[in-house]
Amino acid sequence: MTSLLPQSAPPTAGHPGKLIQPDWAEIVRITPETEGISTFWLRFIDPQVRERYHFQPGQFNMLYLPGYGESAISMSSDPEDEERLVAHTIRFVGTVTKNIGRLKVGDVIGVRGPFGTSWPMKQIEGRDLVLACGGIGLPPLRPAIYHIIRNREKYGKVTLLYGARTPKDLMYPDEHEEWQRHDIHMEISVDRGDENWDGRVGVVPMWFYNFRIDPRNTAVLTCGPEIMIRFVIYEGLARRIPAERIFVSLERNMKCGQGSCGHCQIGPYFICKDGPVFPFSVLQRYVNVEEY
Amino acid sequence: MANPEVLAELKKIPWFGTLSPEHLEKLAGITTLRPVKAGETLFKEGDRQDYVYIVLEGRVALEIFVPHRGKVRIYTCEQHDVFGWSSVTPLVRQRTAGATAVLNSRVACMDAEKLRQICDEDRDLGYLVMRRLANVVASRLMVTRLQLIDMFANPEEKNA
Repeated sequence: MTSLLPQSAPPTAGHPGKLIQPDWAEIVRITPETEGISTFWLRFIDPQVRERYHFQPGQFNMLYLPGYGESAISMSSDPEDEERLVAHTIRFVGTVTKNIGRLKVGDVIGVRGPFGTSWPMKQIEGRDLVLACGGIGLPPLRPAIYHIIRNREKYGKVTLLYGARTPKDLMYPDEHEEWQRHDIHMEISVDRGDENWDGRVGVVPMWFYNFRIDPRNTAVLTCGPEIMIRFVIYEGLARRIPAERIFVSLERNMKCGQGSCGHCQIGPYFICKDGPVFPFSVLQRYVNVEEY
Repeated sequence: MANPEVLAELKKIPWFGTLSPEHLEKLAGITTLRPVKAGETLFKEGDRQDYVYIVLEGRVALEIFVPHRGKVRIYTCEQHDVFGWSSVTPLVRQRTAGATAVLNSRVACMDAEKLRQICDEDRDLGYLVMRRLANVVASRLMVTRLQLIDMFANPEEKNA
Protein backbone atom coordinates (compact mmCIF):
# COMPACT_ATOMS: atom_id res chain seq x y z
CA MET A 1 0.00 0.00 0.00
CA THR A 2 1.29 3.46 -0.88
CA SER A 3 1.61 5.78 2.12
CA LEU A 4 -0.39 9.00 2.07
CA LEU A 5 2.32 10.67 4.06
CA PRO A 6 4.76 13.00 2.31
CA GLN A 7 8.25 11.56 2.12
CA SER A 8 10.70 12.54 4.82
CA ALA A 9 14.13 13.51 3.71
CA PRO A 10 16.83 11.32 5.28
CA PRO A 11 17.39 12.75 8.77
CA THR A 12 20.55 14.63 9.52
CA ALA A 13 21.28 15.20 5.87
CA GLY A 14 24.09 17.40 7.07
CA HIS A 15 25.77 14.47 8.78
CA PRO A 16 24.35 11.20 7.42
CA GLY A 17 24.03 8.45 9.98
CA LYS A 18 24.52 10.69 13.00
CA LEU A 19 21.13 11.27 14.52
CA ILE A 20 22.07 12.53 17.94
CA GLN A 21 25.29 14.51 17.61
CA PRO A 22 24.79 18.11 16.51
CA ASP A 23 26.81 20.00 13.97
CA TRP A 24 28.01 23.43 15.03
CA ALA A 25 26.98 26.62 13.34
CA GLU A 26 27.92 30.23 13.85
CA ILE A 27 25.30 32.95 14.09
CA VAL A 28 26.25 35.35 11.30
CA ARG A 29 23.24 37.65 11.40
CA ILE A 30 20.27 38.34 13.65
CA THR A 31 17.25 40.09 12.19
CA PRO A 32 14.69 41.38 14.69
CA GLU A 33 11.24 40.70 13.23
CA THR A 34 8.59 41.71 15.75
CA GLU A 35 8.50 41.96 19.53
CA GLY A 36 9.95 38.73 20.92
CA ILE A 37 10.70 37.22 17.51
CA SER A 38 13.99 37.32 15.58
CA THR A 39 15.56 35.49 12.68
CA PHE A 40 18.93 33.84 13.27
CA TRP A 41 21.08 33.25 10.21
CA LEU A 42 23.45 30.33 10.72
CA ARG A 43 26.53 29.13 8.87
CA PHE A 44 27.88 25.63 9.56
CA ILE A 45 31.44 25.82 10.80
CA ASP A 46 32.57 22.59 9.09
CA PRO A 47 32.83 23.40 5.35
CA GLN A 48 31.92 19.81 4.47
CA VAL A 49 28.69 20.01 6.45
CA ARG A 50 27.97 23.40 4.90
CA GLU A 51 28.37 21.87 1.45
CA ARG A 52 26.35 18.76 2.19
CA TYR A 53 23.53 20.27 4.21
CA HIS A 54 20.31 20.80 2.31
CA PHE A 55 16.73 21.14 3.48
CA GLN A 56 13.32 21.14 1.87
CA PRO A 57 10.66 23.84 2.51
CA GLY A 58 8.72 22.96 5.67
CA GLN A 59 11.40 20.89 7.40
CA PHE A 60 12.88 21.73 10.79
CA ASN A 61 16.13 21.51 12.72
CA MET A 62 16.73 20.76 16.38
CA LEU A 63 18.68 23.74 17.69
CA TYR A 64 20.88 22.88 20.64
CA LEU A 65 22.06 25.30 23.24
CA PRO A 66 24.49 23.58 25.65
CA GLY A 67 23.25 23.74 29.20
CA TYR A 68 19.68 24.49 28.19
CA GLY A 69 18.61 21.81 25.70
CA GLU A 70 17.09 21.62 22.27
CA SER A 71 14.19 23.19 20.47
CA ALA A 72 12.59 22.21 17.14
CA ILE A 73 12.51 25.18 14.79
CA SER A 74 11.49 25.25 11.13
CA MET A 75 13.81 26.77 8.60
CA SER A 76 12.62 30.12 7.29
CA SER A 77 15.20 30.88 4.60
CA ASP A 78 15.58 30.03 0.96
CA PRO A 79 16.72 26.39 0.60
CA GLU A 80 18.75 27.52 -2.41
CA ASP A 81 20.44 30.37 -0.56
CA GLU A 82 23.67 31.18 -2.39
CA GLU A 83 25.58 31.97 0.80
CA ARG A 84 24.45 28.59 2.18
CA LEU A 85 23.06 30.27 5.27
CA VAL A 86 20.21 28.61 7.12
CA ALA A 87 17.72 30.88 8.88
CA HIS A 88 15.38 30.12 11.75
CA THR A 89 12.75 32.62 12.85
CA ILE A 90 12.36 32.09 16.57
CA ARG A 91 9.83 33.25 19.11
CA PHE A 92 11.44 33.54 22.53
CA VAL A 93 8.95 31.64 24.60
CA GLY A 94 10.59 28.63 26.31
CA THR A 95 13.82 28.14 28.23
CA VAL A 96 15.85 27.19 25.16
CA THR A 97 14.48 29.85 22.81
CA LYS A 98 14.65 32.59 25.45
CA ASN A 99 18.35 31.83 25.90
CA ILE A 100 18.91 31.63 22.16
CA GLY A 101 17.44 35.13 22.19
CA ARG A 102 20.35 36.25 24.35
CA LEU A 103 22.96 35.06 21.83
CA LYS A 104 24.91 37.46 19.67
CA VAL A 105 26.44 37.42 16.22
CA GLY A 106 29.54 35.21 16.36
CA ASP A 107 28.11 32.84 18.99
CA VAL A 108 27.87 29.16 18.14
CA ILE A 109 24.86 26.86 18.36
CA GLY A 110 24.32 23.11 17.78
CA VAL A 111 22.15 21.98 14.89
CA ARG A 112 20.66 18.56 14.21
CA GLY A 113 18.64 18.06 11.08
CA PRO A 114 16.98 18.61 8.78
CA PHE A 115 14.07 16.56 10.06
CA GLY A 116 10.57 15.76 8.97
CA THR A 117 8.41 15.97 5.91
CA SER A 118 8.28 18.97 3.62
CA TRP A 119 5.63 20.92 1.74
CA PRO A 120 4.87 18.78 -1.33
CA MET A 121 6.14 21.33 -3.84
CA LYS A 122 6.54 18.79 -6.64
CA GLN A 123 3.15 17.16 -6.05
CA ILE A 124 1.28 20.49 -6.22
CA GLU A 125 2.90 21.76 -9.40
CA GLY A 126 0.33 23.00 -11.91
CA ARG A 127 -2.23 23.83 -9.22
CA ASP A 128 -3.60 27.06 -7.82
CA LEU A 129 -2.23 27.46 -4.32
CA VAL A 130 -3.66 29.01 -1.21
CA LEU A 131 -1.01 29.49 1.48
CA ALA A 132 -2.92 30.24 4.68
CA CYS A 133 -0.87 31.18 7.70
CA GLY A 134 -0.98 33.22 10.82
CA GLY A 135 1.49 34.61 13.33
CA ILE A 136 4.59 32.46 13.64
CA GLY A 137 3.12 30.17 10.94
CA LEU A 138 4.58 32.31 8.17
CA PRO A 139 8.27 31.37 8.73
CA PRO A 140 7.81 27.64 7.87
CA LEU A 141 6.03 28.72 4.67
CA ARG A 142 8.64 31.26 3.62
CA PRO A 143 10.97 28.64 2.05
CA ALA A 144 7.96 27.45 0.02
CA ILE A 145 7.35 31.03 -1.11
CA TYR A 146 10.97 31.29 -2.27
CA HIS A 147 10.61 27.98 -4.08
CA ILE A 148 7.44 29.19 -5.81
CA ILE A 149 9.16 32.41 -6.86
CA ARG A 150 12.08 30.45 -8.33
CA ASN A 151 9.66 28.19 -10.18
CA ARG A 152 6.76 30.58 -10.70
CA GLU A 153 5.80 29.12 -14.09
CA LYS A 154 5.13 25.73 -12.50
CA TYR A 155 2.25 26.96 -10.34
CA GLY A 156 -1.11 28.54 -11.14
CA LYS A 157 -2.70 31.33 -9.17
CA VAL A 158 -0.92 31.74 -5.82
CA THR A 159 -2.62 33.48 -2.90
CA LEU A 160 -0.94 34.10 0.42
CA LEU A 161 -3.36 34.65 3.31
CA TYR A 162 -1.55 35.98 6.31
CA GLY A 163 -3.04 36.89 9.65
CA ALA A 164 -1.44 38.63 12.61
CA ARG A 165 -2.57 40.04 15.89
CA THR A 166 -1.96 43.70 15.02
CA PRO A 167 -0.29 45.57 12.12
CA LYS A 168 2.98 45.79 14.08
CA ASP A 169 3.06 42.00 14.40
CA LEU A 170 3.35 41.43 10.65
CA MET A 171 6.57 39.64 9.78
CA TYR A 172 8.91 40.18 6.83
CA PRO A 173 7.12 43.38 5.73
CA ASP A 174 10.10 44.36 3.56
CA GLU A 175 9.59 41.28 1.41
CA HIS A 176 5.84 41.54 0.79
CA GLU A 177 6.24 43.83 -2.19
CA GLU A 178 8.81 41.52 -3.76
CA TRP A 179 6.53 38.51 -3.32
CA GLN A 180 3.65 40.37 -4.94
CA ARG A 181 5.90 41.36 -7.82
CA HIS A 182 6.22 37.65 -8.50
CA ASP A 183 2.47 37.35 -8.89
CA ILE A 184 1.77 36.11 -5.39
CA HIS A 185 -1.50 37.70 -4.39
CA MET A 186 -1.36 38.68 -0.71
CA GLU A 187 -4.31 39.12 1.60
CA ILE A 188 -3.27 40.33 5.01
CA SER A 189 -5.65 40.58 7.93
CA VAL A 190 -5.15 41.56 11.53
CA ASP A 191 -7.24 40.75 14.57
CA ARG A 192 -7.14 44.30 15.81
CA GLY A 193 -6.68 47.32 13.62
CA ASP A 194 -6.39 50.97 14.44
CA GLU A 195 -7.53 54.05 12.56
CA ASN A 196 -4.29 54.11 10.53
CA TRP A 197 -4.67 50.56 9.25
CA ASP A 198 -6.46 50.43 5.90
CA GLY A 199 -6.07 46.67 5.44
CA ARG A 200 -8.42 43.93 6.51
CA VAL A 201 -9.52 43.37 10.08
CA GLY A 202 -10.80 39.86 10.61
CA VAL A 203 -9.39 36.37 10.54
CA VAL A 204 -7.65 34.31 7.87
CA PRO A 205 -10.42 31.71 7.31
CA MET A 206 -12.87 34.52 6.38
CA TRP A 207 -10.97 35.00 3.14
CA PHE A 208 -12.74 31.95 1.77
CA TYR A 209 -16.04 33.88 1.99
CA ASN A 210 -14.83 36.69 -0.24
CA PHE A 211 -12.99 34.91 -3.02
CA ARG A 212 -13.79 32.23 -5.52
CA ILE A 213 -11.52 29.26 -5.89
CA ASP A 214 -11.53 26.32 -8.23
CA PRO A 215 -11.69 23.33 -5.88
CA ARG A 216 -10.77 20.95 -8.69
CA ASN A 217 -7.37 22.54 -9.05
CA THR A 218 -6.55 24.16 -5.72
CA ALA A 219 -4.17 22.99 -3.02
CA VAL A 220 -4.03 24.58 0.43
CA LEU A 221 -0.89 24.79 2.56
CA THR A 222 -1.57 25.99 6.08
CA CYS A 223 0.49 26.70 9.16
CA GLY A 224 -0.14 28.68 12.32
CA PRO A 225 -2.13 28.38 15.52
CA GLU A 226 -4.00 25.08 15.47
CA ILE A 227 -7.35 26.77 15.97
CA MET A 228 -6.73 28.83 12.82
CA ILE A 229 -5.62 25.73 10.92
CA ARG A 230 -8.82 23.96 11.97
CA PHE A 231 -11.01 26.73 10.57
CA VAL A 232 -8.97 26.98 7.37
CA ILE A 233 -9.53 23.24 6.92
CA TYR A 234 -13.29 23.59 7.55
CA GLU A 235 -13.55 26.35 4.97
CA GLY A 236 -11.42 24.46 2.45
CA LEU A 237 -13.47 21.28 2.83
CA ALA A 238 -16.72 23.28 2.67
CA ARG A 239 -15.57 24.51 -0.73
CA ARG A 240 -14.94 20.92 -1.81
CA ILE A 241 -11.16 21.00 -1.80
CA PRO A 242 -10.28 17.34 -1.14
CA ALA A 243 -8.62 16.54 2.17
CA GLU A 244 -5.68 15.03 0.25
CA ARG A 245 -4.91 18.50 -1.13
CA ILE A 246 -5.03 20.37 2.17
CA PHE A 247 -1.58 20.22 3.74
CA VAL A 248 -1.03 21.24 7.32
CA SER A 249 2.14 21.78 9.30
CA LEU A 250 1.76 20.94 12.97
CA GLU A 251 3.81 21.97 15.91
CA ARG A 252 4.30 19.80 18.97
CA ASN A 253 6.75 19.39 21.78
CA MET A 254 9.41 17.61 19.76
CA LYS A 255 12.37 16.15 21.60
CA CYS A 256 14.28 13.45 19.75
CA GLY A 257 13.45 14.43 16.17
CA GLN A 258 13.48 10.81 15.02
CA GLY A 259 10.20 9.25 16.22
CA SER A 260 11.67 7.52 19.26
CA CYS A 261 10.52 9.39 22.34
CA GLY A 262 6.80 9.86 21.64
CA HIS A 263 6.60 13.46 22.88
CA CYS A 264 5.11 14.65 19.63
CA GLN A 265 2.80 11.75 18.89
CA ILE A 266 -0.63 12.32 17.37
CA GLY A 267 -2.60 9.11 16.96
CA PRO A 268 -0.17 6.66 15.41
CA TYR A 269 2.02 9.40 13.93
CA PHE A 270 5.09 11.19 15.18
CA ILE A 271 5.06 14.85 14.15
CA CYS A 272 8.87 14.91 14.05
CA LYS A 273 9.20 11.95 11.72
CA ASP A 274 5.89 11.51 9.89
CA GLY A 275 5.28 15.28 9.91
CA PRO A 276 5.39 18.18 10.53
CA VAL A 277 3.66 18.47 7.14
CA PHE A 278 0.69 16.15 6.69
CA PRO A 279 -2.08 15.93 4.13
CA PHE A 280 -5.24 16.49 6.13
CA SER A 281 -6.64 13.17 4.88
CA VAL A 282 -4.12 11.47 7.18
CA LEU A 283 -5.09 13.50 10.26
CA GLN A 284 -8.83 13.73 9.61
CA ARG A 285 -9.88 11.18 12.21
CA TYR A 286 -7.88 12.82 14.99
CA VAL A 287 -8.69 16.51 14.65
CA ASN A 288 -12.23 16.47 15.98
CA VAL A 289 -11.04 14.86 19.16
CA GLU A 290 -10.62 17.25 22.04
CA GLU A 291 -6.96 17.62 23.00
CA TYR A 292 -5.93 15.77 19.85
CA MET B 1 -40.03 48.76 -11.84
CA ALA B 2 -36.59 48.57 -10.21
CA ASN B 3 -33.73 50.77 -11.30
CA PRO B 4 -31.83 48.74 -13.98
CA GLU B 5 -28.47 49.89 -12.61
CA VAL B 6 -29.35 48.59 -9.14
CA LEU B 7 -30.65 45.35 -10.61
CA ALA B 8 -27.43 44.87 -12.57
CA GLU B 9 -25.32 45.48 -9.45
CA LEU B 10 -27.32 43.05 -7.32
CA LYS B 11 -27.03 40.37 -9.98
CA LYS B 12 -23.24 40.51 -9.63
CA ILE B 13 -23.52 39.39 -5.99
CA PRO B 14 -23.37 35.57 -5.92
CA TRP B 15 -26.17 35.14 -3.38
CA PHE B 16 -28.63 37.22 -5.41
CA GLY B 17 -27.99 34.92 -8.36
CA THR B 18 -29.95 32.22 -6.54
CA LEU B 19 -33.13 34.35 -6.35
CA SER B 20 -36.02 34.29 -8.81
CA PRO B 21 -36.38 37.35 -11.11
CA GLU B 22 -39.47 38.37 -9.14
CA HIS B 23 -37.67 38.30 -5.81
CA LEU B 24 -34.67 40.07 -7.25
CA GLU B 25 -36.92 42.79 -8.62
CA LYS B 26 -38.54 43.28 -5.21
CA LEU B 27 -35.19 43.68 -3.46
CA ALA B 28 -33.80 45.96 -6.15
CA GLY B 29 -36.91 48.15 -5.71
CA ILE B 30 -35.93 49.01 -2.12
CA THR B 31 -32.20 49.43 -2.83
CA THR B 32 -30.15 52.49 -3.70
CA LEU B 33 -26.47 52.70 -4.62
CA ARG B 34 -24.12 55.01 -2.81
CA PRO B 35 -20.48 55.90 -3.39
CA VAL B 36 -18.51 56.43 -0.18
CA LYS B 37 -15.14 58.15 0.00
CA ALA B 38 -12.32 56.75 2.13
CA GLY B 39 -12.77 58.15 5.63
CA GLU B 40 -16.46 58.90 5.15
CA THR B 41 -18.76 57.65 7.89
CA LEU B 42 -21.86 55.71 6.86
CA PHE B 43 -23.34 55.56 10.33
CA LYS B 44 -22.28 56.00 13.92
CA GLU B 45 -22.96 54.05 17.07
CA GLY B 46 -26.34 55.10 18.42
CA ASP B 47 -27.75 56.10 15.02
CA ARG B 48 -31.19 54.90 14.02
CA GLN B 49 -31.08 51.64 12.07
CA ASP B 50 -32.45 52.46 8.67
CA TYR B 51 -30.48 50.46 6.11
CA VAL B 52 -28.81 47.12 5.54
CA TYR B 53 -25.67 47.54 3.44
CA ILE B 54 -23.76 45.40 0.98
CA VAL B 55 -20.24 46.35 -0.09
CA LEU B 56 -20.04 46.43 -3.88
CA GLU B 57 -16.47 47.71 -4.05
CA GLY B 58 -13.84 48.82 -1.55
CA ARG B 59 -13.66 48.22 2.17
CA VAL B 60 -15.77 49.43 5.08
CA ALA B 61 -14.65 49.19 8.72
CA LEU B 62 -16.92 48.52 11.67
CA GLU B 63 -15.73 50.36 14.74
CA ILE B 64 -16.71 50.61 18.35
CA PHE B 65 -15.78 53.52 20.55
CA VAL B 66 -14.10 52.31 23.73
CA PRO B 67 -13.55 54.87 26.50
CA HIS B 68 -9.83 55.61 27.03
CA ARG B 69 -8.95 53.68 23.85
CA GLY B 70 -10.85 55.56 21.18
CA LYS B 71 -12.29 53.88 18.13
CA VAL B 72 -11.43 50.19 17.89
CA ARG B 73 -11.70 48.67 14.47
CA ILE B 74 -13.30 45.27 15.00
CA TYR B 75 -13.96 44.06 11.47
CA THR B 76 -13.63 45.17 7.88
CA CYS B 77 -16.29 44.34 5.31
CA GLU B 78 -14.97 43.36 1.90
CA GLN B 79 -16.68 43.07 -1.47
CA HIS B 80 -20.14 41.46 -1.14
CA ASP B 81 -20.06 41.50 2.66
CA VAL B 82 -23.30 42.49 4.37
CA PHE B 83 -23.23 44.90 7.28
CA GLY B 84 -25.85 46.69 9.35
CA TRP B 85 -27.78 43.42 9.31
CA SER B 86 -29.20 43.89 12.79
CA SER B 87 -31.55 46.55 11.44
CA VAL B 88 -33.62 43.74 9.91
CA THR B 89 -34.17 42.18 13.30
CA PRO B 90 -34.06 45.28 15.47
CA LEU B 91 -33.70 43.95 18.95
CA VAL B 92 -31.70 47.06 19.71
CA ARG B 93 -33.13 49.93 17.75
CA GLN B 94 -29.88 51.76 17.31
CA ARG B 95 -26.51 51.00 15.75
CA THR B 96 -24.17 49.12 18.07
CA ALA B 97 -21.10 49.89 15.95
CA GLY B 98 -20.12 52.62 13.53
CA ALA B 99 -19.22 52.07 9.86
CA THR B 100 -16.54 54.06 8.05
CA ALA B 101 -15.17 53.50 4.55
CA VAL B 102 -11.48 52.63 4.71
CA LEU B 103 -11.01 52.77 0.95
CA ASN B 104 -13.07 54.55 -1.67
CA SER B 105 -16.07 52.27 -1.82
CA ARG B 106 -19.53 51.73 -3.27
CA VAL B 107 -22.31 50.21 -1.24
CA ALA B 108 -25.86 49.03 -1.89
CA CYS B 109 -28.26 50.40 0.75
CA MET B 110 -31.39 48.37 1.37
CA ASP B 111 -34.24 50.06 3.24
CA ALA B 112 -34.54 47.95 6.39
CA GLU B 113 -38.15 48.84 7.17
CA LYS B 114 -39.28 47.98 3.64
CA LEU B 115 -37.21 44.80 3.67
CA ARG B 116 -39.01 43.65 6.82
CA GLN B 117 -42.36 44.41 5.18
CA ILE B 118 -41.45 42.48 2.02
CA CYS B 119 -40.28 39.53 4.13
CA ASP B 120 -43.55 39.57 6.10
CA GLU B 121 -45.67 39.68 2.95
CA ASP B 122 -43.67 37.16 0.94
CA ARG B 123 -42.65 34.43 3.36
CA ASP B 124 -40.71 32.50 0.71
CA LEU B 125 -38.49 35.49 0.09
CA GLY B 126 -38.49 36.19 3.82
CA TYR B 127 -37.08 32.72 4.47
CA LEU B 128 -34.33 33.17 1.88
CA VAL B 129 -33.37 36.58 3.24
CA MET B 130 -33.33 35.37 6.84
CA ARG B 131 -31.34 32.28 5.92
CA ARG B 132 -28.78 34.50 4.21
CA LEU B 133 -28.64 36.80 7.22
CA ALA B 134 -28.23 33.79 9.51
CA ASN B 135 -25.15 32.84 7.47
CA VAL B 136 -23.81 36.37 7.82
CA VAL B 137 -24.38 36.29 11.58
CA ALA B 138 -22.78 32.85 11.85
CA SER B 139 -19.67 33.99 9.99
CA ARG B 140 -19.40 37.10 12.18
CA LEU B 141 -19.73 34.91 15.24
CA MET B 142 -16.92 32.71 13.96
CA VAL B 143 -14.68 35.76 13.47
CA THR B 144 -15.58 37.10 16.91
CA ARG B 145 -14.76 33.76 18.54
CA LEU B 146 -11.38 33.56 16.84
CA GLN B 147 -10.59 37.16 17.79
CA LEU B 148 -11.71 36.47 21.35
CA ILE B 149 -9.37 33.50 21.59
CA ASP B 150 -6.52 35.86 20.72
CA MET B 151 -4.83 33.01 18.90
CA PHE B 152 -1.69 34.93 17.95
CA ALA B 153 -0.87 35.98 21.50
CA ASN B 154 2.38 34.84 23.00
CA PRO B 155 1.50 31.68 24.99
CA GLU B 156 3.20 33.07 28.08
CA GLU B 157 1.12 36.22 27.85
CA LYS B 158 -2.03 34.13 27.60
CA ASN B 159 -1.14 32.11 30.66
CA ALA B 160 -0.17 35.13 32.71
